[in-house]
Amino acid sequence: MPLDSSTYALAHLRVDGRRWKELRRIHGQMSTQAAADGSSYFEMGNTKIICTVLGPRQPTKSGGRDQSREAIIEVEIGVAGFSGMDRKKRSRNDKRTQEMQYTISSAFASTVFTSQYPHSTITIVLHVLSQDGALLAACINAATLALIDAGVPMQDYIAACTTGSTASYASNDEDADPLLDLNGMEELELPFLTMGTSGGEDKVNVLVMETRIQMPRLEAMVSVGLDGCKQVRNILDGIVREHGKKLLSSR
Amino acid sequence: MAITILAPAPAEAPRRTYHETDLDTYGEDEDEMEIDDLPSGHRRSTQVITPGQIVTDDPQWMRGHGTFAASDDASSAIRSTLAGTLQKTNKLLSVVPLRARYTPEIGDLVIGRIVEVQSRRWKVDVAAPLLANLLLSSINLPGGALRRRTSVDELNIRSFFGEGELLVAEVQSLFQDGSASLHTRSLKYGKLRNGHFMAVSGMGGGAGVVRSKRQIFTLQTARGGEVDVILGVNGYIWIAKHVEEKREEVGLNRLEETASQSMYSSQNDEISSETRREIARLAGCIRVLAEGSVKVEEDNLRRAYEASLELDEIEGEVRYLGGERGRNIVDMVLGG
Amino acid sequence: MAPYTNIPLSPAELSYLHTSLAQDPPIRPDGRSPTQFRPLVAETDILPSANGSARICFADGTEAVVGVKAEVERTGRKGGLVRGKEDGEVEGEERGEDGWLDVSIEIPGTRDDDALPVFLAAMLTEALLADGELKGRLVIGRVWHWRLFVDILLLSQPLSYPLPLLSLTTHLALLSTRLPALISQKDEDPLFNDDWEASTHLFPRQPTTNEPETKPPITLLVMTVGTNILFDPSSDEIAVADAIVAISATEDSKDGGLKMVALRTVDPPSRLTSAGVPTQANTTAGGGLSAEETLKLREKDAGATVWRPPRGGVSRTVLGRMIKKVVEKGGVGEEVLEGLRGVKS
Repeated sequence: MPLDSSTYALAHLRVDGRRWKELRRIHGQMSTQAAADGSSYFEMGNTKIICTVLGPRQPTKSGGRDQSREAIIEVEIGVAGFSGMDRKKRSRNDKRTQEMQYTISSAFASTVFTSQYPHSTITIVLHVLSQDGALLAACINAATLALIDAGVPMQDYIAACTTGSTASYASNDEDADPLLDLNGMEELELPFLTMGTSGGEDKVNVLVMETRIQMPRLEAMVSVGLDGCKQVRNILDGIVREHGKKLLSSR
Repeated sequence: MAITILAPAPAEAPRRTYHETDLDTYGEDEDEMEIDDLPSGHRRSTQVITPGQIVTDDPQWMRGHGTFAASDDASSAIRSTLAGTLQKTNKLLSVVPLRARYTPEIGDLVIGRIVEVQSRRWKVDVAAPLLANLLLSSINLPGGALRRRTSVDELNIRSFFGEGELLVAEVQSLFQDGSASLHTRSLKYGKLRNGHFMAVSGMGGGAGVVRSKRQIFTLQTARGGEVDVILGVNGYIWIAKHVEEKREEVGLNRLEETASQSMYSSQNDEISSETRREIARLAGCIRVLAEGSVKVEEDNLRRAYEASLELDEIEGEVRYLGGERGRNIVDMVLGG
Repeated sequence: MAPYTNIPLSPAELSYLHTSLAQDPPIRPDGRSPTQFRPLVAETDILPSANGSARICFADGTEAVVGVKAEVERTGRKGGLVRGKEDGEVEGEERGEDGWLDVSIEIPGTRDDDALPVFLAAMLTEALLADGELKGRLVIGRVWHWRLFVDILLLSQPLSYPLPLLSLTTHLALLSTRLPALISQKDEDPLFNDDWEASTHLFPRQPTTNEPETKPPITLLVMTVGTNILFDPSSDEIAVADAIVAISATEDSKDGGLKMVALRTVDPPSRLTSAGVPTQANTTAGGGLSAEETLKLREKDAGATVWRPPRGGVSRTVLGRMIKKVVEKGGVGEEVLEGLRGVKS
C-alpha cells in the first residue's frame, strides 16, 4: 500500500518524504536538438519527456482539408517500451494516447497565435522516456518549452501539474487532504486530476480527470492545483530566462 | 583518430523547486524594466523577455512584432508573445525572438529549392513557414527575349526549373498569408550550378545569416582561383566556382542587360581539385561560424578563411574544420 | 503531389558532389578524410528503469536513445531447448532461440509497419544473433529464460540513413545491460537477488581488467564512388553513392582481430534520380538535340559534368576492399570499437 493512511495521518509525509504541497524535482533544458526548429527535455521527478517542434511549415498532407485561416497544431506522442517498470509496447493508435494528443493540441490552439501562420502546420512530437506519474502534465510543460524555443508566438506559458486526494472514492473521509504532484505509485491508488493554467492565476486551460472523486473534495484539489501550476510556471520561466541569457552572452 | 566520441555536456544543477516566498520577488522584476534606457534602433538589449510578460503599460508606446495586448488587461498594457529581447525604434516596441523561422521581407535575397511545378508557377522552399511562389512571368527568358509567355513556355516549364533545382532570387512581394513571391529579373539571380549548397538555419544559437550590405561576393582563394559565395538571408548558402559570363556588347539600342543563353543549363563546367578543396574549406568555415553563434556575413567569413589558412600554417593542415580547430577559428574571428 | 525524386538536390549539385568524391583523394564536402567519422556525443546508463540504456547524438542533430529491458519467460512452448540431454545439460552450440531477442525501432513520422523501421530492425537483429552467443546467455535453466527487449527510439527525422547511429547506440546499450543475479538453483522457479549491485552484465566482464570478454557487433555504413571507399557518409554523400553496403563486424575471440558477421547492400537513392540535361540539348539554353544525340552526349561525358544516375552493381574487388577496411587490424572497425570503449555512463 503506497500511501498508508495511518502513517500519513501521523507524520503527514508521503512515501518519498514529501509533504502534501511539495512538487517533485523539476528540471528542464531547451534547444537540446539541433535538427529541429524547437526542442526541449523536461523531467518531473522520474518522468522524463523529450519534445521536438517542427514548424510552422507547409503541411505535408495537402489537399482534402479546406484552406484554413489558422495554423494547425499536430501532436504525436510516442511512449517508449522501456518507460514503465514492465516493458510494454504502446501502440500509437490506442485511445488513451489519442486522447492525450487531442488534449494537448487543443490546449495550445487556444494560446498560440495560430492566425499569424495561415495554411501551415506546427508539429509537436513527444517522446516519453520514463513515466512515474504526471504524464500529461509533463508533456504539456515540455511542449511549452519546445514551442518557445521554436519562436512560436503565444499568449502565455501553459504550466501543468497533477493533484490528488488522500481519500479514495469509497471512503467518506472528511479530513482528506489534497496532494500535489503524485508519483506513479500514488496515481495507481488515489484519485487525481491533471490541470494546466495559462494567462494568469485563475485561467484554467486543461483539466482532465480519469478517476472518481466525491464533489466536496474537488474544490480543495483545484485550488492546490492552481497554486502548483503557478509554481511550475515560475520554474518554466526561469528555465527560459537562463537559456536566453546563455544564448545572448555567447553572441 | 578516425572517430571522436565526446562526452555529453554536463547538465546544469537541478533547479530547486520554488517555494511560496520566492514567488513574490519574480513579479516585481517585470515592472522595473526601464524602457527609456534601452538603446534605440537595432542594437539589442541583453535582457530576456518571456511570453506573457508585461513589457510596459505606458500608453505612449506602439506595439510591433512579437507583442500583443491582452483583452482583459489595462488598455495600454503590452505583453510579449515570444522569448527574446526588446527592440525599440522611435515609439515602436517589438520583441526579437531568440530563435525563429525565417520570415520573408520584401527585398530579401534568398536561395530556394523548387519543390513543386504547377501550370504557370513554381513553389519554392525558402525555409519559411509557407512555400514561396515564383511566377513564370517573373523569370528572365534566355537570350534576353522580352516577350509574353506563351503556352509553349508553359509546356516547357520544367526545362527552365525542374523539381529539386536551386535558384537565387529576390522577394518581390508578400501575399496576405505571409508567403513570398519571388523574382529573378536580374542577371545576378537565376539557376545555380558549379558549386555546393549548405543550410545554416536550424543550427547554433540562431545567429545565422544576417541581412548585410553584400550578400553575394567573391573570394580570392589561396590555391583555387576565385570562388563566389551567396549568403541567402533565409540561411541557405551557395558556394561555387566563379565563372565569367560572356556578355554580348551592350549597345545604345539595347540598353537592357542581356541574359546569356546558358543561364538555365544544368551542366557544370570543369572545376579543378584545388577549387573543390577551397569550396570545402569555406563550407567548413561557415559551419564553424554558425556553431559558434557568430553572425555569418562577409567580413566574418573572410576573417574565418584567413584564420583557417593561418592555423594551417602554424599547426599543420587539418581538412575537417570541427572541434578544436573550429573553436580556434571562432576565437580568432572574434578577437581579431 | 509527390516529386519524381525524393532527393532534394539539383542535377548540378549531384554532378559536383559525385565528381568531387571520385577524385583521388576524394574531396568530401566537409573536408573529412575517407575514414574519418563526424564527432558524436555518447552516454550510457541514462534510464534508471531499464536494464541497459544509451544515447548517441550525431553532429548533424540526429539523435537516438536505446533502452534494453529483460523479462523472465517460460521456455518450452515449442518444445523447449534444442537437442537437450536427459538431465538438462545442453552441449554444443545450439543453445537458446532467436525469438528471445525482440528488437523494435520507432522513427517519428513513420508507422510501425513501414519499410524503413522493419528493414532496419531486421538488419540489427540479424547482426546481433549472427554469432549465436547472445541467445545462449539468455538461458536461465531448462524451463526459464530471459527475453530481451531492445527498444530503439530515433528522436529526430531520419536525415540520412540511420543504420550506423542505431547500431552504435544499441552496442553501447547492450554493453551496459545488467541482469539480476540468480539465487535459485537449477530448475526451480527463478528467484533473483534484490541487490542491484550483485547483478551481472549481459556481456560479462573480465575480472582483472573489467573489460567485456565479448562485445555485441557494430554495423557500419560504407559507400563507394568510383574506386574510393568512404565511411560515415552524410546525407549529401549518400545521394550520389555508386553503392552502399552495411557491414556488421564483431571481435574475433580467436585471433583478436575483427570478423565480419553480416553484410547487406542498401539501394542507393541515386538510382532514383533522373539524369541532367547537357547544355547542348537544353532547349532553353539555345540547344536542341534528338533523344539519341542527347544520350550519346551523356555517355561521352560519362557523368563528369552532367549528372548521370549510377548503373550496375558493386565489383567484387571493391567489395572485398570494403570488407577488408572494416575488419583488418588497425582498420576502421577497431578504431570505432576503441572509441566506444571510452564512453562513460
